[in-house]
Amino acid sequence: MKLAGLKSIENAHDESVWAVTWVPATETRPPLLLTGSLDETVRLWKSDDLVLERTNTGHCLGVASVAAHPLGRIAASSSLDSFVRVFDVDSNATIATLEAPPSEVWQMKFDPKGNILAVAGGGSASVKLWDTNSWQHVATLSIPRPEASQATKPIDKSGSKKFVLSVSWSLDGRRIACGSMDGTISVFDVARAKFLHHLEGHYMPVRSLAYSPSEPRLLFSASDDGHVHMYDAEAKTLVGSMSGHASWVLSVDVSPDGAALATGSSDRTVRLWDLSMRAAVQTMSNHADQVWGVAFRPPGGTDTRAGRLASVSDDKSISLYDYS
Amino acid sequence: MACVYIPVQNSEEEVRVALDQLPRDASDILDILKAEQAPLDLWLIIAREYFKQGKLEQFRQILEEGSSPEIDDYYADVRYERIAILNALGAYYSYLGKIETKQREKEEHFILATQYYNKASRIDMHEPSTWVGKGQLLLAKGDIDQAFATFKIVLDGDSDNVPALLGQACVEFNRGRYSDSLELYKRALQVYPACPAAVRLGIGLCRYKLGHFGKARQAFVRVLQLDPENVEALVALAIMDLRTNEATGIRTGMLNMQRAFEIYPYCAMALNYLANHFFFTGQHFLVEQLTETALAVTNHGPTKSHSYYNLARSYHSKGDYEKAGLYYMASVKEINKPQEFVFPYYGLGQVQLKLGDFRSALTNFEKVLEVYPDNCETLKALGHIYFQLGQIDKAQEFMRKATKIDPRDSQAFLELGELLIYSDTGAALDAFKTARGLFKKGGQEVPTELLNNIGVIQFEREEFELAKQTFKEALGDGIWLAFIDAKKMPPVIEAAASTHEYKNMQLFHELESNGYRVELPWDKVTALFNLARLLEQLNEARTATIFYRLILFKFPEYVDAYLRLAAIAKARNNLHLSIELVNDVLKVSDKCPNALSMLGELELKNDDWVKAKETLRAASDATDGKDSYATLSLGNWNYFAALRNEKRNPKLEATHLEKAKELYSRVLIQHSANLYAANGAGVVLAEKGHFDVSKDIFTQVQEAASGSVFVQMPDVWINLAHVYFANGNFALAVKMYQNCLRKFYYNTDSQILLYLARTHYEAEQWQDCKKVLLRAIHLAPSNYTLRFDAGVAMQKFSASTLQKAKRTAEEVRSTVAALQNAVRVFSHLSAASNLHIHGFDEKKIDTHVGYCNHLLLAAKVHLEAAERDEQQIHQRQELARQVALAEEARRKAEEQRKFQLERRKQEDELKRVQQQEEHFRRIKEQWKSTAPASKRRERSDDEEGGNSERRRRKGGKRRKKDKNSKSRYDMEETEADMMDEQELDDEDANMNYREPTSQMNDEDDVEENAQGLLAAAGLEDSDVDDETVAPSSNIARRRQALSESDDDEPLDRQPDVTPIRGNSTELQESDGEIRDGNKPNADEGSDEEK
Repeated sequence: MKLAGLKSIENAHDESVWAVTWVPATETRPPLLLTGSLDETVRLWKSDDLVLERTNTGHCLGVASVAAHPLGRIAASSSLDSFVRVFDVDSNATIATLEAPPSEVWQMKFDPKGNILAVAGGGSASVKLWDTNSWQHVATLSIPRPEASQATKPIDKSGSKKFVLSVSWSLDGRRIACGSMDGTISVFDVARAKFLHHLEGHYMPVRSLAYSPSEPRLLFSASDDGHVHMYDAEAKTLVGSMSGHASWVLSVDVSPDGAALATGSSDRTVRLWDLSMRAAVQTMSNHADQVWGVAFRPPGGTDTRAGRLASVSDDKSISLYDYS
Repeated sequence: MACVYIPVQNSEEEVRVALDQLPRDASDILDILKAEQAPLDLWLIIAREYFKQGKLEQFRQILEEGSSPEIDDYYADVRYERIAILNALGAYYSYLGKIETKQREKEEHFILATQYYNKASRIDMHEPSTWVGKGQLLLAKGDIDQAFATFKIVLDGDSDNVPALLGQACVEFNRGRYSDSLELYKRALQVYPACPAAVRLGIGLCRYKLGHFGKARQAFVRVLQLDPENVEALVALAIMDLRTNEATGIRTGMLNMQRAFEIYPYCAMALNYLANHFFFTGQHFLVEQLTETALAVTNHGPTKSHSYYNLARSYHSKGDYEKAGLYYMASVKEINKPQEFVFPYYGLGQVQLKLGDFRSALTNFEKVLEVYPDNCETLKALGHIYFQLGQIDKAQEFMRKATKIDPRDSQAFLELGELLIYSDTGAALDAFKTARGLFKKGGQEVPTELLNNIGVIQFEREEFELAKQTFKEALGDGIWLAFIDAKKMPPVIEAAASTHEYKNMQLFHELESNGYRVELPWDKVTALFNLARLLEQLNEARTATIFYRLILFKFPEYVDAYLRLAAIAKARNNLHLSIELVNDVLKVSDKCPNALSMLGELELKNDDWVKAKETLRAASDATDGKDSYATLSLGNWNYFAALRNEKRNPKLEATHLEKAKELYSRVLIQHSANLYAANGAGVVLAEKGHFDVSKDIFTQVQEAASGSVFVQMPDVWINLAHVYFANGNFALAVKMYQNCLRKFYYNTDSQILLYLARTHYEAEQWQDCKKVLLRAIHLAPSNYTLRFDAGVAMQKFSASTLQKAKRTAEEVRSTVAALQNAVRVFSHLSAASNLHIHGFDEKKIDTHVGYCNHLLLAAKVHLEAAERDEQQIHQRQELARQVALAEEARRKAEEQRKFQLERRKQEDELKRVQQQEEHFRRIKEQWKSTAPASKRRERSDDEEGGNSERRRRKGGKRRKKDKNSKSRYDMEETEADMMDEQELDDEDANMNYREPTSQMNDEDDVEENAQGLLAAAGLEDSDVDDETVAPSSNIARRRQALSESDDDEPLDRQPDVTPIRGNSTELQESDGEIRDGNKPNADEGSDEEK
């Protein structure tokens, strides 16, 4: 289990790179890397040489999140002005522009089947669900307001504590977990659009969530407290906790085989964790600033048996690693 | 039976006197001797016989009679015998003097002896036996040099004079010239092989002193063969045996000693040695008895001293330091010079050291050092005393000397290291490492505290991996290994219960019930704690918490572990748990100042101002105000209170500031090197507008704070940046903020980004300002004030672009985009205000929206104009391009034609080539020589054009720069004006500084609207440059005010400015204290070893 640097593109964007995801392969082309940046552009890169395929413009303010449809034909990008742009990956034709004011847009994820786009709604304390055929807003998963009786945190005057930052789909698409500024993770039943429970343990913003591809109930969370937690999202138990980053953990992703975890942190490093040992096995320090995103390439396609991990950073660079 | 015959005068008859039947009354014999006028040698024989029989009185009577003046007259011509009698008397009195202990009688005996010898000398100057006697006398008096001279006179006359030889040997022995002494003894033996055993004793002693132990032993054995009862030889042999330090040697030695004791139970030397032996076998009762006997039987100073020493040592080892001290003192009193017998000084020093009388101990050890300048133990003891007396330099000097003399003394290196910790950690580490190496080489176990100290220094030097190894080595084998290697996972717990994870001991109970032994020896606790601290530093907080919990599991009183757990919980923002943990500490010790301080900080974080103040007060009281941390916290509290007062009562503010200053100063008086207090004082000064002074302070603090992992002071960087900002030095301020962000916060602190944005704003770097704000939003998405600020920045950018005299369509277009974004941001905020309370007045936002829309309209006009212009230009360019294209086409056609022509020509030429070779060459040369010339000309034209163009451009730039500087100047002026106004208005010259840090003003809203109008007015008069400047700073101020006046979390925000920094200092400090705590621990350990 190790990472080996393959390629790094300095100045891949003109400004900090904030978002990264892989666009799965289609019959006609191999998978592509999709990145979003403060420079208001979204860029597509051909792996493994990270050749710039196209630069999408049109966003105002920084691009904070990108998401790709599981079939690889469409993708979505969102910026700080709370617009979501859905576009055709190959032609860059705009398919839809989504907004649900006054809800902002933070992390976005397509469900594993590709029918719904889930959008973390920031200060609305909710996750918005969009149908991917009609591009209509279909549901809002709201985090219930904390009642006075269960006020665990002493002072919680402002409602923005439940500000939703991150979102993740369970493997079967039946659950959505979302992480918020105050560190709580909320689990929803998608079919019934119903809040199930909170997962506690973090007390600082949870900026990234990832379900394990091999164990359906296992959820990983990355928080500003420098820890990665492992939860059994159904049983509400904290299975484990991993520390090692010197600063905020900004991003987490599970390898396709479910054996390893990659995290990106403000401490400028990318770490690889062996889940069987629950310990960091490797630390990559090739970035010169905060690492905002890490993404394992999904399996599929013709030449994609080899594992790939991409990371993006405030230092404007993109790095690609071989994972084996 | 031997007898003498006294010849009867005038007859042939003789009187037979049996020597063993001498009458009790010497007068009878004397009468006979006198009556018969017996030869003097008979007198002597009889006297000697009396002496041998121990009848000293009779002996003396005969000899005194024999040396009386009548005898002198009568036997005037018998010289030798008379001399012999006198010498015998002299020798007798010498002996008496020698053994007499009372000084006065001793003197008297010696005087008598001298008189006899002098009388003998008067009879014959040259009689060697008189000289020998005199020599002995001088020797007994201790007058060694004269004794030497005296014996020399004899030996010069007769080099084989045995008594003289012996005397001289004795002299040489006393002078310490043992080989000379030995030679003399040998010669005596050669001359007179049948001499008494004592001579061989002398040889043995010489050999012994010379270190020829084998030969010495032979000599002593020979003595004993000749005289089995010779106590001295027995003792000497015994001492030699004892000195071998082997079991068998000691056994035979003790046998000899016992025999000597049995033969003569009052030999002090033997008694002392026996006592010494029993001291080592631990039979203290015997020691006391023997030494007491020895003290009773001898008046010989050194021997007595030895006895006292034995006694003292016995008490010393029993731990009765008072008594031991008394006896050591008695022993020391018996010694004239420390050179003779130095041990009691050492013992006395030790006892005094133990009893805390460092000064006296110092003098005693120094005496030992005089005798043994290279004695490591003494050097170490002196080093230790100087350390206790606070003279670290001297202590180091001694310790260093000790390590130099014995580079294998691990203890010395250990102590040296402990001394060096205070001055030079690098050297200390080296010393500790050497000590560790020595312990290892010696096969000894390396003391835990030594390893602990090494680890701490490595930790301090940021050699974290090494430190980790060292701590692990210190800990050795134990249950903790399982946690380090993460073999034991903490049990799965209910997510809701994870809130209290740090108090959970279930893990250890489970391990115990699974048959593991969860043990933690007391001497490993410190090392384990330090390892946990290190793991924290390495971000292995999870393992660290397990270790802290393990410590608490076994030692629930270990407050520091609670505090660290609380600190970790606090760092993870789990305030509830943190408070609970601190309360646990207070349960253990309700006055623990560290815990109280921490609780105060937590309460501040929790917005419990009044409570926090009380807690901090309690912390301060718990240490009688000596704990600088508590005082500092109170100072911070006052500082924040001064700024947070919502009514902004200038009087109250001033009192709070004054109080803060007083508290900071108090700490500075106690600890002039306290960085945090200095920083606080700087802040207060800056608040009062003394930027130059505060800048100096901040710069110094910043310098001092760099270089240790345990001191992290980002606040001072921020404060410096604030000062630069306040002085209008924006570039430096930006740099300082950025460095601080990068160095301390991994670029994650949105508050500093806000400062940075404000600096860009003031510097009119709108794009930078916007980018920074966007970054801040990305980091702190729920902070809506940042969004508002971003909106303002975009609005301001647009306004300023539109006010520019010249602008490209591109610029106007980006302006429009920015305005649209601003509108969107503001309307978002407006819409979101229904959902959240984020502290904005909707009206205020609406004003902004209105203004932006207004700008947008104007911009559209401008845009159209600009686009028209651009289009025109574009058309013109297009036209020109087309013309150029046509031209190009024409030129190309021409060229083509030319080329064709040429080629045709060439073909023609080729055809003609054979006939017209000469002609062709000429043409070709001509062509060659002309072409370059024309090229060159072309190039020079180009260059000129380029230069002139560049020059022109430069000129333009200069003009632009001028404009810039002018406008900046203007701005400064207006700012100054503004400040003047403020001074007039508020009677408070300090407003200016407070703005960047924090401002809470209820009046803001009013101002807000007013400024909104002003800004709108600014738009109308978009041609007037001056106008725009004033609003700019006003808006900036307002913006700042807005970001700070967020009603909902003002208290979170307030502390953010500096209290959070205060927090970090608190952590640092408690770390420091913990570490300090460890070192004394280690010291104690080594003390005990000593």
